[in-house]
Amino acid sequence: MNQSLREDSAPLAALRNSLAAAPWFAACGQPLGPGERDTALAYLAGLGFDRSPLEGVVGWSEATRLIQDPGWSRDLWAAESAAEKSLYREGLALYGESRLLELLSEITEAAAPIHDNVLRALSRAQIVDATLAKVAAGAAAQACHQQALAILGEAPPGHALTRKFQLFARGRWPLGLVARTAYVF
Amino acid sequence: MTPATITAPVKSVAALMDMPEEYQTAVRKIVRSHAVNELYGAQVYDEPAIALAPNPYLKWLACRIAMEEYGHHVRFRQLGEQIGIPAAEMTPQGKKPLSIFEFPLKSWEEFCVVKLTADLAEILQVEDLMQCTFLPLRNLAKMTMPEEIFHSQFGKDTCTELVKTEEGRKKVQAALDQYFPMMPAFFGKSNSANNELYRRCGIKRHTNEAMRADFMKRVREVVEGHLKLKLPEVAEAA
Repeated sequence: MNQSLREDSAPLAALRNSLAAAPWFAACGQPLGPGERDTALAYLAGLGFDRSPLEGVVGWSEATRLIQDPGWSRDLWAAESAAEKSLYREGLALYGESRLLELLSEITEAAAPIHDNVLRALSRAQIVDATLAKVAAGAAAQACHQQALAILGEAPPGHALTRKFQLFARGRWPLGLVARTAYVF
Repeated sequence: MTPATITAPVKSVAALMDMPEEYQTAVRKIVRSHAVNELYGAQVYDEPAIALAPNPYLKWLACRIAMEEYGHHVRFRQLGEQIGIPAAEMTPQGKKPLSIFEFPLKSWEEFCVVKLTADLAEILQVEDLMQCTFLPLRNLAKMTMPEEIFHSQFGKDTCTELVKTEEGRKKVQAALDQYFPMMPAFFGKSNSANNELYRRCGIKRHTNEAMRADFMKRVREVVEGHLKLKLPEVAEAA
């Protein structure tokens, strides 16, 4: 075994421990505050979308429509995927494949209960939709995975995927770009 | 039909250790198989499907499904560790996965067909385990069943949407034509020694042949009755 490879990450442990307490989806539908707007704009700018106007989303039905809109931006998704791959390569060099996958799996397992938060948020909105609950939980889990990659790949603190995770961790759901406008629920 | 020689419930992992060696072997075999195949299925079908999905709604849904399938692996692996299966034997590197995972996934339509058919087959297997004599395994089957039902329903729902257009109908039919012939082998060989062992131990209730026949009936109802597509002719006896 290569002795220079790392075994553990304190920031990753902190992320894992923080997931249960975060107010997942609790702020969805509320007006965006200045701090949230700044975080969202930093997320977009970090992926090269610094000229995109930003809009809030008022309800779950509008959010559901937007994420199925044929005009959704594949470019933003591709930019996130490219950032993920780059961070994965960095993490690979630091931890080795086996340990990196173990650490990422720990975050995936810790993110599984977020589904319960979604069910509560939907319940508050008097919505019963098992599929939408899984969609939202999947989006949050993806953000957790991306933040884990940012930590393990030692990305700078203001990395775009960290900004995205911060929005989720504040109870928001960044929905992506539709017709060049960015939407945060 | 092989009568079950063990019918009384085995209530715990500790109680398993007092059971005959044959019973312990049967439990370990089936737990290992589920641990390996849940993981491999997530790796070769569910994770790649995220990239293939046509919009964020379906991409994130695919993310969640991949997580759930991986979660099934974790639960079976945890039980496997408790009953003394070496961790290395519960990975695709340590034990060869089922042949249904050899299909190279290339499109969203193929993924939807995989969920429709393979997850329906999985439901049948889990239904059987929900009556097995080893209670920790029975409880695990009960826990995973709602998610397996959702995954199969997801396959049905997405295929139902896809076949609304002529192009989609052709793609789903093509995916069925390519993938479905692999399905009958999922249930194992006819007159299988493993299956006989499972039934003797009360781990399974049905023969591979009976489960395959039940699957063919149920999948035909969905594919031909509901989707109005043609189920490819396959040799049912593996």
